[in-house]
Order: sequence, then structure tokens, then C-alpha cells
Amino acid sequence: MAAVDREAERRGLRPGMPLADARAVVPDVRIVPLDPDADRAMLDKLCAACERYTPWASVDPQGARPNKSSHAPIGDGAGLWLDVTGCTHLFGGEAALLADIAARFTRAGFRTRAALAATPGAAWALARYGGTDQTKDLDRAPPGEERAILKALPVAALRLDTDLVEGLDRMGLRLIGDLVHLARAPLARRYGRGVLDRIDQMFGDLEEPISPRHAPPVHVVRRVFAEPIGKVDDIELALAEMLPILSADLEQHGQGIRTLDYILHRVDSSREVVEVGTSRPVRDPAHLARLFHEKLAAVDPGFGVEVVVLAARTVAPLTPAQANLDANADIDSFEQTGAAQLVDRLSNRLGNGNVTRLTAVESHLPERACRERPAMTAKRNNVAWDEPDRRPQRPVKLLIQPLPIDAMASVPDGPPASFTWRKQKHRVVNAEGPERIAPEWWAHEGRPLSRDVRDYYRIEDEDGRRYWVYREGLFLPGFEPRWYLHGFFA
Amino acid sequence: MAALPPITAELRKQIAQIERASTVTMTTPQKGEAVISAGAAAIDDALPWGGLPANGLHEIFGDATATGFAASLLARLETVQSGAPILWCQTGRELYGPGIAAYGLDPNRLILVHGRNDTDLLWAMEEGLAAPGIAGVVGVLHKVPPIAGRRLQLAAEERGRFGLLLRPLDPLARTRAAADLAATSMALTRWRVGALPSEPMLIGGREAGMGPERWRLELQRCRLSTFNQNSTYAGHPKTWQVEWRDETGDLTVVAPLRDGSTEPAERWRDAS
Repeated sequence: MAAVDREAERRGLRPGMPLADARAVVPDVRIVPLDPDADRAMLDKLCAACERYTPWASVDPQGARPNKSSHAPIGDGAGLWLDVTGCTHLFGGEAALLADIAARFTRAGFRTRAALAATPGAAWALARYGGTDQTKDLDRAPPGEERAILKALPVAALRLDTDLVEGLDRMGLRLIGDLVHLARAPLARRYGRGVLDRIDQMFGDLEEPISPRHAPPVHVVRRVFAEPIGKVDDIELALAEMLPILSADLEQHGQGIRTLDYILHRVDSSREVVEVGTSRPVRDPAHLARLFHEKLAAVDPGFGVEVVVLAARTVAPLTPAQANLDANADIDSFEQTGAAQLVDRLSNRLGNGNVTRLTAVESHLPERACRERPAMTAKRNNVAWDEPDRRPQRPVKLLIQPLPIDAMASVPDGPPASFTWRKQKHRVVNAEGPERIAPEWWAHEGRPLSRDVRDYYRIEDEDGRRYWVYREGLFLPGFEPRWYLHGFFA
Repeated sequence: MAALPPITAELRKQIAQIERASTVTMTTPQKGEAVISAGAAAIDDALPWGGLPANGLHEIFGDATATGFAASLLARLETVQSGAPILWCQTGRELYGPGIAAYGLDPNRLILVHGRNDTDLLWAMEEGLAAPGIAGVVGVLHKVPPIAGRRLQLAAEERGRFGLLLRPLDPLARTRAAADLAATSMALTRWRVGALPSEPMLIGGREAGMGPERWRLELQRCRLSTFNQNSTYAGHPKTWQVEWRDETGDLTVVAPLRDGSTEPAERWRDAS
């Protein structure tokens, strides 16, 4: 068993117990299979929810760790760090902040223990081992008494390996206070530097930074509403007020937006992220507001939105555009023009993959030679479009999936004399080919190459319509090649 | 240009104002106004503007041939040649770059927009026509509601942009296609393009592969009919047989057909 809940613990179950033993003690115990990935995902989600308090929130790397020592931690080891330095006043002080966190988690159905202390180490210890009254959800070390309280905690509160804790236990070192008074040098020799580092981290003699879940965006504007707002119009209004502030901030740093998140924290602790992207750095508030406008219509404010955060996720240097003096540099000129703004608006409403540009790819396979790339991110490559003599060698429309057709050829390796497509028979009056296109042998596996060689023909039916058809495979004994329709000529 | 009587010109102008259309629609173009050649002098002569006005909406019915014709028109747009992009709105993903390049249009100029439905496409087209820095907008649409068509036409004229409606003809829904063809539209010109059997290429009297593509090009509708520069009456429906000239990037009129089709309608099934 990896973890037990409070009720199970009360009835005598412990993490690390074999399942059979647990069943013997409590026959009706409910077993849930251990799923570390789901646990981690949930922690990550909770962590995201906690970003309403501070941008510096992270999942405790110590994670869930079965502990065999006599001082079993409360529940299990998993936890979250929040660095609330400078944030507490927004929620009415440290005590109110703690109470708010606890209340929210309880409402969401989690049992928590929250502790607030001067160092991450101390907070970790207090949250897990602190307080004689283990039913209390909150713990806050009173200033001045923190040291004394910490010294009274068991050694396991130092975030040490289980083996190490057991080793110390055998030596009679059970409380942190016992360690603190020992000479440092022999302690380090006997148990390694780790123990000392942990002690120093707990008492603030050694810095221990918390890395936030995401690197916090440098350019952030947030608004806390006195009353939750429930109208999308108001949410947009708030956005319109915040954008110029963000824009001014960006301008100072010479940056422009590439991705911008508008994060709505609802009353029920859920949050919604509205994201817009741009094809090139932008900081024009009006343009950004237009991009959001399309997306905000679909936002559900739920029971109301309390806090909104506007965070520039990715930024890129944006310097005032220089007038283009080089008349020949028109190749990519449309990145400079209003077209980029249009691409942004279309992409944000229709989706990135639906606003594309064609790029030539160096491949002799027709379906690979031309690829669509999102217009927002497409970079110009220098592969030229095959256009040797303007004589249409390639169809204007290429089917994404070649269609199997029934074709009759007069000579086994000649063009088809007629073919049936969409239940209509087309007589071929004119044909050109074959153009043999072999698969890319370096990427080809399995079947012999001779089965996948394609012989392409340009054919014209009696109405003058032109098709691009191919025969897959060579005529070999015992193998019947198949015909496919691949495209239409103009 | 054969001068219109002043009163006629004045009346035309008034009608234009009533229709909130610019002067392009109703009067012959002034010198210097951008006009795109349809590809052959004979065809341009049959148009009152001496070509297709670059600031307006045009409609082309047909299939792969229509795509080729459209690409060749866009390639002749001056703004495209100077590097401005074209917005190409459609639901499918079949447009093939190398094939387009053969009609002189640089695929790098294209911004493709894929919409889930016609509403998305019409919205994207209107945005495109209003945006600065866009040379032209193409929409592949099965259905164009009259109001949407009018909005597009007005946007194209106001901004001086080239708008193109490509209307695929589905051979399986012949009646609907017929209804579409009969419906009026706000486009300045309406074309119908279809394939015709080509002549085999002859080298030294012997067949040497397929000849150039041959199209039937039909001017079905034209918003203005008047006398053109050559004092011939222009702007009425007409049909040509043309061949695509890959070496010059234009069309050759092979044999002008009489007004209306000389061929049975059954020959007009279009592949999609």
C-alpha cells in the first residue's frame, strides 16, 4: 500500500503494509490502484489553481514517498510550495491567506495541511509534522517561536532519506533539536553533507529557491474584482483596461507579444485560459483586443470571475519597423504589411492549422513536395517551386488520398484506355507518360520496392478533362498492379 | 471610345450612386484604372473595361479548369507581382502548389484559409478584402447568399481589391447547379470555364503527346454593356475556345463560338 487516508490510518492501516495484512485488519477496505501519473497530473492542476495566490507555485519535488519510520507523515508526502513573499497583503494577511487556501481545498474535496514559515524547509516540516493537534488544518509558526517549534520536530521532518532517518534513530537522535546541538564536522563525516544542508535550509542559513511550475511571465497585469463579475462584456472591458498597461510595460522593454494568455479565475476555483497568438511581435492594444474579441464570446463566466490575469507567455523583441529601402527585398515583404495582422485574426478564429501557406519541400513524391504550414509560424524556405517551362506537369488539385479506380489498359505497362470513376466510365483519348516515381528507398520498409513504384500518366478523356492517374507496382508474375486517381489538371 | 451622350452618362452616374456602387460598375473605366487581362486580346475587347477590373468581384463557374483560369488571372495582378499576398478561402485541402505555379502564380503568395462552412469562408473573405496589404481574395463557395455576394462586391470596390468567387459545379447535383447559374449575382462578370478535347501536339506531322489544354471560356454575365474603345458593343455573353500557352502565360483564341453553346449540354458535365 502506498498511501492511506485518515480514516484508514485511524483503524490501523499504514503505508507500506502488504495488501493482505490490510485486508485482514479492515476487511471492507477500499483499494484504489496506485497511479503516479494521475497523481502528478492532479498535483500539477492544483498547482495551477494556486497560481491565483502567487506566480511562484511549484509541486514539491519530494513527492509521495512511503515512509517506514515510526513518525509517519500526515497522509502522504506530496505537496505544493507557494512562495507568498509580498503577496499576503492582497488577501488580508498571512493568516487570512492560509485560511483561504485551506477553505478552497476543503471545498474542492481535498484534505490539506497548510503551513506557513520563513523557509521552505520549515514550512515543509510544519505542514507534515508540526502541531500536536493533527486535526487542525492550518499551521503558522508564530514569529520568534519558530526555532523552538522546529527543534521539537522529529528528524524525518528534515526531508531526509528513510534509511538516514533510521540510522539517526538508532543513534538516539530523534528530534531536530538533538542534531542542532551536535558538532557539525563529525555529523557531516558520519552522515554526509545532506543532513547539514537540510538543517541549514530549514533555519534559513542556506538559500533554497523554489522554482515555479512555469517560469513566471515577466509581463503580467492582474485585476482583482471586489465583486465577481458574470458578464462577458465586463470581462472584455477589464481586458481593454489592462491591455494598454501591458503594452506600455512591453514598450519599455522593447518587447512584443507572440502568445498572450488571459486567465480567468472563477469563484469556484476553476480557471479558464484564453490564449491568442500572433505571427509576429505585436503590442498594439487595439489589435490584441480584436484578437481576444472573437474568443471571449465563447467564454463561460460560470458563477462569476474574481481575478483576471493578463500574462504575456512568449514575447519577442519588437523594435520600431525600419522602412524598407531595398526595392528588391520584396520576397518576404508581406510579413511586414497588414497581411500579418489579417493572418493573426483569421488564425485565432479559425485555428492555427486552418490558415496556412504552401511551402515547397525537396521531395520527388508529389504528395510530399508541397506542404501546408500554419501561416503564423511558416518560415520561408529556399526550396524553389518546380516550374521548369510552365508546362503543366503537375495537377492544380491533388487528392490528399489517391482514389482507387478501375482502369483498363490495352498494353500491360501502357496508359489506361478507359477508367471508371464515380460510377462513370471515361474513355481515354489522349495520354502522356509514364513518369516513374519511385518511393523514397531510404524511408521505405517492408514491401519490395517494385510493388510501390508508381507510373504516372496525364490522361485526357473524351470531354477534354485531364486527370493524373498512376499505376502502383510493376507488372510481375502473380501481382496485379492497381490504378489510382491522384489529381486534376486545369 | 465612343462617347456616350452626356445625358446617358449622367443617368448612369445617378444609378451608380443609388446603387451605392462606385463608378467602376456603371461606367467605362478611366485611363490608368487597373484592369487585368483575361489572357487574350479578343476576350479583353469583348469586355467594356478592356479586361477585368482589378477592383471588383468576379465569379467563375467550373472545376479544375476554373482553378487554372483563376490562377492565371491572379498572376497578372500587378499587386501580386509586386509581392502582395492573396487570400484563398476554401473548405478542401486539394490546392497543389506546383500545379498552380504552372499558371504563373507563385504559390508563396497564397495564404490558404480553410473554413468549416461557407459562413467562415464568407467572413474570412470580407476580412481579407478589408485588410490592407492583400492583393486579392479568392473564395471557393458552393452557395453565395445574395446579401453576402453584395457585401463582398461592395467591399472589393470600396477597397479597390480583386475578389474572385470560384463556384464548383457538382455533376451529381445538376439541378442545383442550374439554379445557381440562373441566379443573379453582384459580381461584375461571371464566367464559366470547362475543358474541351485538345488537339494532339504534332511534331513533323506526327503526334507527339498531348497538346496544350483547351478550354471553353464563356462570359455569361457582365454588369455593364456599352461601347468600348474600339467602338464595338461590349459586355454581352460570348463564348470562346481557347488554348493555354505555357510559353507566354496567356491564352490563344482557337475558334470563337457563336453566342451560346453549339454543343449539346450533355458535354458540359464538369468533373469535380
